[in-house]
Amino acid sequence: MNGMHPLMLTHFQAFLLFAAVISVAFGFLGRRQPKDRVKYILWSFFLFLLVGVGIGWAMYPFSR
Amino acid sequence: MSEETSQAVQEPVVQEPPTARASKEPREARALGLAIAGWFLPGLGHALQRMWGRALIVFGGVGLLVISGVAMRGNIFVSRGTDAFDTLGYLADLGTGSFYFVARGMEHSGADVSHANGDFGTRFLATAGVLNLLAALHAYEAARGRKA
Repeated sequence: MNGMHPLMLTHFQAFLLFAAVISVAFGFLGRRQPKDRVKYILWSFFLFLLVGVGIGWAMYPFSR
Repeated sequence: MSEETSQAVQEPVVQEPPTARASKEPREARALGLAIAGWFLPGLGHALQRMWGRALIVFGGVGLLVISGVAMRGNIFVSRGTDAFDTLGYLADLGTGSFYFVARGMEHSGADVSHANGDFGTRFLATAGVLNLLAALHAYEAARGRKA
């Protein structure tokens, strides 16, 4: 990219960015009230983390 | 079974009054137009319905994913794909609407999927497209009067 450094993220940083953006979008599209949205966003983000880290650990024994 | 008997067993068809049907058609056309607008410019389908928060989040979310995807040197698929996965990737990328062309314009060095970063970028771009299609569908449903 001209004049722009490539974005270098670790696996975990990319995962966090992805989970945050998708959780916020889901929260706004799926819920109407601000309080419900916040709850949904936090819950969705937590589940992304839980499932992502869980799958990561589940694959760990086969990774070498 | 004779034809008369089979007709008698059929459930009666409830026809809507002509006025109800006539008022439904423009609403359906408007909903479709809003969905297409939302696909072409992420968030526009919601903005035209004065759902400002949702419009902003869709625009920002899809935009952030596209910019991150390109900056991470993800693969932006083109229509001349060689296999089914390329075609699926192209359709997913095309889901971002006009942002697809913005992404193509921003990409100068080409994709680099030899590193995990580029691979993540490819997923970010595809996710942006699918997210925008979901948002367009949401705008369509909201315009039709479904609870959204």
